[in-house]
Amino acid sequence: MRGAVYNSAIPETSQKSVNNAFCPAFVVRVLRFALLLGAFGPAVARAADWSAVEQQLARKIVAVTGPGAVALTVENHSSLGRRDGDIVQNGLRSALEQAGIHLVKAEQSAASVAITLSENPTSYVWVAEIHQGAGAASVVMVSVARSGRSSVVHDSMPIALRKTLLWTQDGPMLDLAVLEENGTPARIAVLTPENVSLYRLQSGKWQAEQTLEVSHTRPWPLDLRGRLVPARDHLLDAYLPGVICRTGAGGVVTMSCHDGDDPWPLVPAGGSVNASVFPSAGSTSKTSAAIPPLAAFFAPTRNFFTGVLTPAIGKFSTVPKFYSAAFLPREKYTLWLFAATDGKVHLVDGVSDQPSKFEWGSDIAAVRTSCGAGWQVLAADAGERSSDSVRAYEFPDREPVAVSAAADFPGAISALWSEARGDTAIGIVKNRESGSYEAYRLELVCSQ
Amino acid sequence: MRHIAWNWFVASSLLLGALALEAETRPRYGGTLHVTMRAALTSLDPADGSQPDSFARRSVTALLFDTLVSVDESGHVKPALAESWQLARGNQRRQFRLRHGIRFHDGTPLTGEAAASSLRAANPSWVVISEGDSVIIECDSPDPAPLAELALSRNAIVKRDADNKLIGTGAFHVVDWQPGKKLSLAAEEEHWSGRPFLEGIEIEMGRSFRDQMTALELGKAELVEVAPEQTHRVSQAGHSLTSSAPTELLALLFTREASSPEGKLLREALGLSVERGSIRNVLLQGAGQPAASLLPTWISGYGFVFKAEADLPRARQLRDQVRTIPAWTIGYDGSDPLARLLAERVALNAKDAGLSLQPSASASSDVRLVRIPLAASDPWITLQELAAQSGLPAMKSKSGPTEDLYAAEQAELATGRLIPLFHLPASYTSSSGLRNWALRIDGSWDVANAWLESAKP
Repeated sequence: MRGAVYNSAIPETSQKSVNNAFCPAFVVRVLRFALLLGAFGPAVARAADWSAVEQQLARKIVAVTGPGAVALTVENHSSLGRRDGDIVQNGLRSALEQAGIHLVKAEQSAASVAITLSENPTSYVWVAEIHQGAGAASVVMVSVARSGRSSVVHDSMPIALRKTLLWTQDGPMLDLAVLEENGTPARIAVLTPENVSLYRLQSGKWQAEQTLEVSHTRPWPLDLRGRLVPARDHLLDAYLPGVICRTGAGGVVTMSCHDGDDPWPLVPAGGSVNASVFPSAGSTSKTSAAIPPLAAFFAPTRNFFTGVLTPAIGKFSTVPKFYSAAFLPREKYTLWLFAATDGKVHLVDGVSDQPSKFEWGSDIAAVRTSCGAGWQVLAADAGERSSDSVRAYEFPDREPVAVSAAADFPGAISALWSEARGDTAIGIVKNRESGSYEAYRLELVCSQ
Repeated sequence: MRHIAWNWFVASSLLLGALALEAETRPRYGGTLHVTMRAALTSLDPADGSQPDSFARRSVTALLFDTLVSVDESGHVKPALAESWQLARGNQRRQFRLRHGIRFHDGTPLTGEAAASSLRAANPSWVVISEGDSVIIECDSPDPAPLAELALSRNAIVKRDADNKLIGTGAFHVVDWQPGKKLSLAAEEEHWSGRPFLEGIEIEMGRSFRDQMTALELGKAELVEVAPEQTHRVSQAGHSLTSSAPTELLALLFTREASSPEGKLLREALGLSVERGSIRNVLLQGAGQPAASLLPTWISGYGFVFKAEADLPRARQLRDQVRTIPAWTIGYDGSDPLARLLAERVALNAKDAGLSLQPSASASSDVRLVRIPLAASDPWITLQELAAQSGLPAMKSKSGPTEDLYAAEQAELATGRLIPLFHLPASYTSSSGLRNWALRIDGSWDVANAWLESAKP
C-alpha cells in the first residue's frame, strides 16, 4: 500500500449545475425523445426505470411549492456517469413540468429548487432543497436501489507471448482445461471450488453441457487452488487440496470425489505409462520430447505443495515447499524449477538444489515450442505493478534470459498451469476492474 | 465543492486495488502478526454493554467470533454462520439455517440452540428460539430492524462455558489474555471459511499513538493505529496510510436534556458558533469532514443538507433571545491531547457567540466532547445504535424510506443533546511486510486473508 487510499473522487463522478433557463422544456423533451430513439440504448433502459422515481420527486416538490415558476438546479454528486446523470436531470425537468411547474431563471422565480443526485451504499438518493422566501429550506427526497455493477480488457523480443481469453465468469475459477479442439477450443471444463462445468461450442456459442459436483468434507483452505488434468481413458481428473475427483468412462459423464492426498501430476499425463509425450506445436520437425512423469504431494490445508516428490528427481525425493514447478529437458537430464514458498526459484537437476537469486512470482509453467531453444518457462512477474504480467524465459545455463515481452493481465494471476498439449498454458486471472474471473490460453509465437 | 465522491465504497475499492498491487506473489502461511491499539479492552465479551464500542473492539471481536450474517463492502447482507434465511409473516419471523459442520473452538458443534442462547444473552428483549439447525427470531413489531443488525459485533455468536469462559467460532482462538494489556491468538485450523494464513496474532493494548508509531518503526508491530491529526504527517513521512470512510462521529454531547426552549436555543447557538472548517484545517490537519448531521453522507445520502458552516450572526441572534446565559463546562478525555485542543477551540468559538464554556478534564461536565464509532452498515441501524450509545430517544421506526430516516435524524438532532462536529475516518499504517489486510466498512481491520511476507511456511 502506498499513500492514503481514501481521498480520491469517484472517477466517473460528474458534478454539474444546470440552470433550466438555458434548457427550455421543448429542448428537454426533444433531447429525451432522441435518447429514447436509441442513441443510448442501455442508458435509456435505465432512464425508463427511473421515470417513476423522477415523477415521485417532482410530486413531492410540487406539494411544497405548488404549481408555478421555479428556478431549478441539478447537481450530480453520485457515481452516476455523466450520460446517465444528464438523462436523469432531463427526466426530472420533464416530470416537474408535467406536475405543473414552470422552470424559469432565478430572478423570475417564486421558489428555487436545488436537486442533488446523491447516494448511499445501497441506494441512489435524490434530494431537493426548496427555498421559498427567507424561511428555512424544505427538504424532500426519494431513493431508488442501486443496481449491481457491470463489468468490462508485442514487442521486439524473439518470441511473442499471445494471450487468448477463453472464458470469463463472475464466480471463482480455479482452472480450465480444453478437452476438445478443432483449431480453436470446442469443448472445455471449468473448475470452481464447488464443481466442474463442461461446455461445448455450438454455433459459435458456449453451451453448458453438464455440471459435476466437487464434494468435499473439510473446509477449503484460503487461496484455494485446483487443477484439471485431461485423461486418456476417461475425461479428466480434478485435483484440489485433500480431494481428488475422477470422471467415469462412458457416455454420460459422472464424477466421483474422495478425500485423499494423492500426488498431483507435475508433468501432464500423456501418451504412455512411463513417459508423457508433448507434441511440438508448430514445429517442422514433428519431434516429440519424452519427459519422465513426476508428481508432488499438495498440502491439504494450504496453498502449496509439500515438497515431497514421486518419483524422486535423482537423489532428491523432497524439495523445498513450492507453489508451482516447471521443467526444462536437457540432453541427459531434466532441469526442474520450483517456485518455492521461501520466495526463491530452486533449480533441481537431480544432483544439486540451487536456490536462484532471480525474482519471479509464485506461478511458473513450462511450454514446448518451435521457437528459440524449444523449451520456455512462463513466469508471473513478482514486481509491484499496476497489473500482473507473465513473461517467457529460456535457460541457456542456470540464469534465465527473457525471450518475450511481458504480457499484462487485468488482475492478479491465481493459476498458471501447462496444458496437456504441452505447447500452451492456461492462466487464471481475477479482473480487478470487474471482479470477474478470466481464463486465458498463453501461447508463444515465434517472432522471427 | 461538495462532493460525495469520497464515497466509502470507492475507498474500499481503492484500498483493495492498492492492496492488490502488492499481491503478485501467492499468500504465505505462517508468522505472527503484531498489532498495537490505543484501546485497553478489559473484556472480550461482544455483548458486554459496559465496554465502550470502538474500532479496536470490533476488530478483536471479529477475530474470535462470527455472526450469523455479515455486511459486505457494498452494504449488502451476506451469509456467515447462517448459510440461508427465510422471512415470514411480513419479516416478523426470521428463520436462519446454520451452516453445517461448524464447531466452537472447544470442539463442540454449533447448534441452533447455542446460537439462539447467544442472541438471547445479547438481546434480552428478543424472542429467539431454536429449531434443529435453525435459529428463529420473532418480532412483535411490524417494523423489525434490518437484517444487518445481526452483523453487529454485539450479536456475534458466543458460547459461555460453566466458568463463563467465552468460546467462539472465529478464525482465531485465544492463547493468552491479559485484560487491558495483551491478547495472544492462534489460528483455527478448521475454520469454516478457511484456515488463516497467519499462525498467530499478538495484540498490545493501551498504547499511545506515539508508542504505536515507534513500535512500527522499530519493527515490533506490523499494524498500528494513526490519530486523525497525524494522518497527513504519517503519509508525508512515507509510511503507507490506509483510512476508512468517515466512520466516527466527533460531537458535543450534553449530559442532560434541555430543560426549556431557551436552553435549546443556546445549544443551537453553540452548534452554529463552531468554526469546523478552520478546526479541521488546523487541529485535524485536514482529516475528517465537518459535520452537522449525525450520519455522514456516504451512509445516508443526504448528510449535506445539514449545513456545517459556522454562522456567528445567527448564533448571536439566538443567544440574544435568552436572558440568562448559563456557564457550561465542557469535558474531554484527558488522555487525548487532541481532545483538549478541540475543547479549548470550541470554547473560544462559543465565547465569540456570547456563550460561556469552560474546558474541564473532569468526568462531570455539562457537555462532553465525545467520539462515537458508527455502526456503518444499514443507515437505520447506524442511527439507532448512535442514539442508543448517546442516550438519545429511541427511534420510533427501524426501517423505511430515506425520507423517514431523514425525519428520524432530524428528530434526534432536535433534542439538542448532540451537536455533530466532524465525521472522522479510522486510519492505520502497516509495515510493508504485511500483505492483503483490509478495512471493513465499519472501520475495523480485517486480517482474515492477511499474510506476512517474512513468513516461513
